[in-house]
Amino acid sequence: MREERHYQGNPQKNSPALGATLAFLGINGLLALLHGSQGCSTFIRLQLSRHYKEPIPLNSTALQEDSAIFGGWDQLKKGIGKVMDKYQPQIVGVMSSGLTETFGDDMTSALASLHEERPELRPHPVVLVSAPDYIGSMQEGYQRTVLALLSTLLPAPTSDLNSTFAHDKSAVTGMKDAADPATPIIALFPGCHLSPSDIDELKDIMTLFGLHPVVLPDLSTSLDGHLELEPAPVVQGGTTLEEISLLPQAVAAFSFGLSMHKAGQYLEENYHVPHYNFPSLTGLSATDALIMTLAGLTKQPVPAKLSHQRSQLLDTLADYHDQLGGKQIALALETDLLYSLATALIEVGAEVPVALAASPNEIKNFPTGIPVQVGDLEELEELAGATQLIIANSNGRQAAAALNRPHLRAGLPVFDRAGYPQKIWIGYRGTQNFIFDVLNTLAV
Amino acid sequence: MFVNLSKLDLKETCSPADKGAPKLCLRALPGEGAERSCAFDGARVVLMPVTDAAHLVHSPIACAGNSWDNRGARSSGSQLFRRGFTTDLKEQDIIYGGEEKLFQAILEIATKHRPQAIFVYSSCVAALIGDDLEKTCARAQEKLTIPVIPVNAPGFLGDKNIGNRIAGDVLANRVIGTKDPEAPKVPLSINLIGEYNIAGDLWGVLPDLQNLGIRLQAAITGDARFADVQSAHRASLNVLVCSKSLTNLVRTMERRWQIPYINASFYGIRDTSQALQDIAAALGDPALIERTKFYIKKREAVIRQAIAQYRERLEGKTAILFTGGVKTWSMVSTLAELGINILAGGTQNSTPEDFLRMKELMDPTAQIIEDTSSAGFLDIIATKKPDLIVAGGKTKYLAHKTRTPFLDINHGRKLPYAGYEGMITFAQAVDRTVFSPVWELLARPFPSLEAAL
Repeated sequence: MREERHYQGNPQKNSPALGATLAFLGINGLLALLHGSQGCSTFIRLQLSRHYKEPIPLNSTALQEDSAIFGGWDQLKKGIGKVMDKYQPQIVGVMSSGLTETFGDDMTSALASLHEERPELRPHPVVLVSAPDYIGSMQEGYQRTVLALLSTLLPAPTSDLNSTFAHDKSAVTGMKDAADPATPIIALFPGCHLSPSDIDELKDIMTLFGLHPVVLPDLSTSLDGHLELEPAPVVQGGTTLEEISLLPQAVAAFSFGLSMHKAGQYLEENYHVPHYNFPSLTGLSATDALIMTLAGLTKQPVPAKLSHQRSQLLDTLADYHDQLGGKQIALALETDLLYSLATALIEVGAEVPVALAASPNEIKNFPTGIPVQVGDLEELEELAGATQLIIANSNGRQAAAALNRPHLRAGLPVFDRAGYPQKIWIGYRGTQNFIFDVLNTLAV
Repeated sequence: MFVNLSKLDLKETCSPADKGAPKLCLRALPGEGAERSCAFDGARVVLMPVTDAAHLVHSPIACAGNSWDNRGARSSGSQLFRRGFTTDLKEQDIIYGGEEKLFQAILEIATKHRPQAIFVYSSCVAALIGDDLEKTCARAQEKLTIPVIPVNAPGFLGDKNIGNRIAGDVLANRVIGTKDPEAPKVPLSINLIGEYNIAGDLWGVLPDLQNLGIRLQAAITGDARFADVQSAHRASLNVLVCSKSLTNLVRTMERRWQIPYINASFYGIRDTSQALQDIAAALGDPALIERTKFYIKKREAVIRQAIAQYRERLEGKTAILFTGGVKTWSMVSTLAELGINILAGGTQNSTPEDFLRMKELMDPTAQIIEDTSSAGFLDIIATKKPDLIVAGGKTKYLAHKTRTPFLDINHGRKLPYAGYEGMITFAQAVDRTVFSPVWELLARPFPSLEAAL
């Protein structure tokens, strides 16, 4: 037993409000508003922009000392009103912070009261999400926000849904163009462990099977790093409100990452859309599971391009099996990414003696072979001494330097290596990339 | 537990009525989008570069988790200050209080990491649940041989500036003068107040001080050992280089230890020379004054020669300047030394003095940036179409979207710009970005069928 510590040393954890911001950044025309003091939003903006190398639109209700006494309810009303007047976003995403959760500001009544005073604001949707800093990590804030987006923005479920929308698998036939309204829609809920380019790859795979992917949230068009013609202080790219309204019509909902199970469940329970959860998309088995489900769902043969990528991956596994076999690798990541990378490594014969999760959620669902526990990067430094490679975010650099071990960056933030938001580590091709990154980092 | 703002002398200066002046007395407006950070951040910025101390944040994960080890302050010795320590308050702690957890954390960190001192920062949530930081630090201190220093600057107290001042107060009352309190002044020695050694700025200034025979007692705080700061009362002169928000600190030191102070900036040739002359004059040593006169002439000639090629290329280029602290005005003259005209300037985290000085130095036709949100920033870029934007990292990626050359001069940068040598580095960096071939590539039309036919 390790001795209990009363502090986090070199935290790997980001705040839930940061995760909430990230989810909001995948919604077109949205402006996020953090209900807290100014530092809360400044730190999030800095952290996300040094990872994605993008401007991060995020405003704050800028609470000060008097709010600590009188509460921040009025400030919240003013903030939402101001954001709408000044920036005219299509949608406002509001998240609470540790400060406002502690004094218990009721965000719902603040919004209702604002609507009463200014009824002209009613048509503009406002999504409220509770993201107290003292519960969970980035992953929890992100997941809660996706759920809040669904429950706020989807049309109310009706009882005759089954007759209105054809959900039975036989309805999915033929290769169709995504722009064709007859192309079956598939709802995708990526976890925050997927990069913008991972999501792009995922959309390509869906298109190959003749499906029209609607992704919530879609970071692949907002945080992918492209040069807009008109920079704006609200989210550019991302899922549109119109696309979100299509979600109940999807033939299936796929959620990615253990934490996103609830989002898929929401669509299944309220709109009878069949839901499939994929805890991982990295590794041969994980990708096979996705492709088999897609083939079964669409009754389509597996596209030749994907089969070819699969055989390329197999060749790589054969070529490098010896360099991978028995390698001792220590990981410290948010649980969804930890699960994905650890299972992919174990699958090819590497060993994972150290697996530190940023927060406790979902660790009970890990396979028995992974010795997962909650831990920070100070623990990584203590435990990874006998391993040959460290996989953690850029903040793992202190541990890697102290232990003199190679360090493969993963997760968030990665600020000292180029191109991480553009990395693809999912699917057959992405798994091959990941294996190469592991091998090349070990080679240095 | 709440800090008494009236006692802290925080609001003695109100903002000038000028448009675009930093809004010191006014509270930040909710939803406005002005990027001003918080008091906790301001306090940590000042104290963090005490490199052999541990910096423990008593808060939920948001305050430290998103932001530890994210500034470019460099150390020549201990790297302990770069470690992120937080009590990571959880739901249970919010209900039952976090004092015991904090107490244990202090003892554990002291035992394991052997710091020379521990700075313990309060936060919004810790203040709200009523944890007594002062008492808990005192209790831990009894068990330890090192100082345990509470820093009571929860974020909701206000802007970064207020946090800077609280940190100054903490240094004055808890650190400075606690080692050899009766020891005599060190002749020809100075403290640099508000020099954080970002990207090694301090190391660009030190050689010139050494060459002149001026001794650095402490940089408060940059590449500082705790013991250096404890002995800072032995300096003969305080040189306030950045963040006039530490004015309260130099005033206190003048009162308590009879250390006079002057203002200075080490950005740009002219300001660096002025700073060295002013230091020599204030130290009052005739030989030093004479030496300095010759020294700066020699150095200026060398540096002007070195940057001549850049000045030739940059002459007549235009820039928008948006920064804080001493850089608000110091960058105006630094850019002028490269022949660059400033079309518009703005500031958020500056004092009124800094702001007025910027206004004075700028061409009267230059515009003051009034709306300091990203929307206002985009507006001004669109109307002014500058050749260069000089600002902090927060606006960097927004600026890039406008396809405009950008130079980061705040804490995110990797290169030292201070002192004479820094001026060469600065000129090279400006030249590199303004004349990068990528801006022409970015302006090219996308291939299209129409263009191909």
